[in-house]
Amino acid sequence: MRPLTEEETKIFFEKLAKYIGRNIVHLIDRPDEPYCFRLQRDRVFYVSEAIMKRATCVGRDNLLSLGVCFGKFTKTLKFKLHITALEYLAQYAKYKIWVKPSGEMPFLYGNHVLKAHLGRITEDTPEHQGVVIYSMGDVPLGFGVTARSTQDCRKLDPSAICVFHQADVGEYLRDEEHLT
Amino acid sequence: MDVVAQLQTLKDKYKSTEVEKAIPVDFDLRNLVAFDTNPVDHALLRSSPDTYLKNLAREGAQLLVNQIFGLPTETAQEGVFAKLPDATTQIPRAKPIPKEKALTRWENFAKTKGIQKRKTSRMVYDEGVGDYKPRWGYKGANQTTDDWLLEVPDNADPMEDQYEKRREEKKERVEKNKKQQRRNAEEASATAAGRNPREARKAEIQKKIVESKGSTASLGRFDAQLRNEDKIKIKRGKRKFEPATVDASIEKEGAMKVAKKVLKGEDGKVLNITKAVKQVHQKGGLRNVDMEEGKKKKRRTK
Repeated sequence: MRPLTEEETKIFFEKLAKYIGRNIVHLIDRPDEPYCFRLQRDRVFYVSEAIMKRATCVGRDNLLSLGVCFGKFTKTLKFKLHITALEYLAQYAKYKIWVKPSGEMPFLYGNHVLKAHLGRITEDTPEHQGVVIYSMGDVPLGFGVTARSTQDCRKLDPSAICVFHQADVGEYLRDEEHLT
Repeated sequence: MDVVAQLQTLKDKYKSTEVEKAIPVDFDLRNLVAFDTNPVDHALLRSSPDTYLKNLAREGAQLLVNQIFGLPTETAQEGVFAKLPDATTQIPRAKPIPKEKALTRWENFAKTKGIQKRKTSRMVYDEGVGDYKPRWGYKGANQTTDDWLLEVPDNADPMEDQYEKRREEKKERVEKNKKQQRRNAEEASATAAGRNPREARKAEIQKKIVESKGSTASLGRFDAQLRNEDKIKIKRGKRKFEPATVDASIEKEGAMKVAKKVLKGEDGKVLNITKAVKQVHQKGGLRNVDMEEGKKKKRRTK
């Protein structure tokens, strides 16, 4: 377990900023308790200072997980967000999309969001923007990247893709062994 | 009488070639320029700028032409030419003066020995063909491949292909020349950087050795020892990480710094005016758009 280097922090924040924009600041500067980012087995964990200090007495090989896993660095030093980060992404998301009840299951099985399933969308969402996907009852389901801007979405035919799937809560069941 | 009147009307048609100026106009005839330093009549310029400026230009041009016609002339087949004097205006260069090229090794040697370049003719007479050929290059006289017969030297291997040998030799010569060119360029760049070319080359080789030693799977641990190898020290940077537990406030500060840098790009994006106006009007940030809205409206209109 170690803190992120400056380069890693930059890559990580750049990815986060695509979803939550300026709200990164709220993750770093919390009023309740000091939180920090730690790297363990290429994974970035968001953990409170107190728990992190306790975890220092666990060996590197034995430490499986601590706090909330935000994602991991690939071997080529790119950052990939995991579904476990949804808790914080949903809280601070800049652009949101709501899917209709009919579209919830297809999305949770790992499919892209189609126009027919699009219930609501934040105004002026640009193309290729990171968005968090909610059910109509405001339950966060996952996140992805918009295929079209809000204006273009209106004109789309029902079977066209609106949002590219990146992660969904279905992964907790499907990819259980890969998530920590 | 009639003729005089006609001449007068013709004369009036054209303006006089004589122009009077309070301050005499300066000329730079080499550049075909006239400099008029007379003050501008502001009142006239205000009232009728077009005619005034046109007139001013005509006068200047007329004076310039008068001067040119006053120059000594030369007659050639194409016509009469005026001989222009030397330029009096200094015009600055657009580009800096090109730097002198560094001397090659041969040029250096020739300079110290006092060897001078001798001009040789480009074409040489080829007796076999009975015509002049370029000394070298395309269809040059030194092209040896078109000899239809080659003697085998006395002490040479009779089975050796003499054509092949020539080709090989030429290849080697070209290769050698290229090598020398490269060396000259390297030395020139080193001296231009203010370094001794010999030292620069040595340092580069040293660097290459260190690099190559570090590129094996064992990072050079099982490599064969070279001569003087222990003199070459391999220094590798160690990865340095912060300790696992840092003071929270310090860590926060570092993270904030990076975040600020990252978010700078976000702020620097071109301002979307329609979006900004909407945000101000709606006060509560961006609204959500219901996708069904449009459809319902349509139904209503039906």
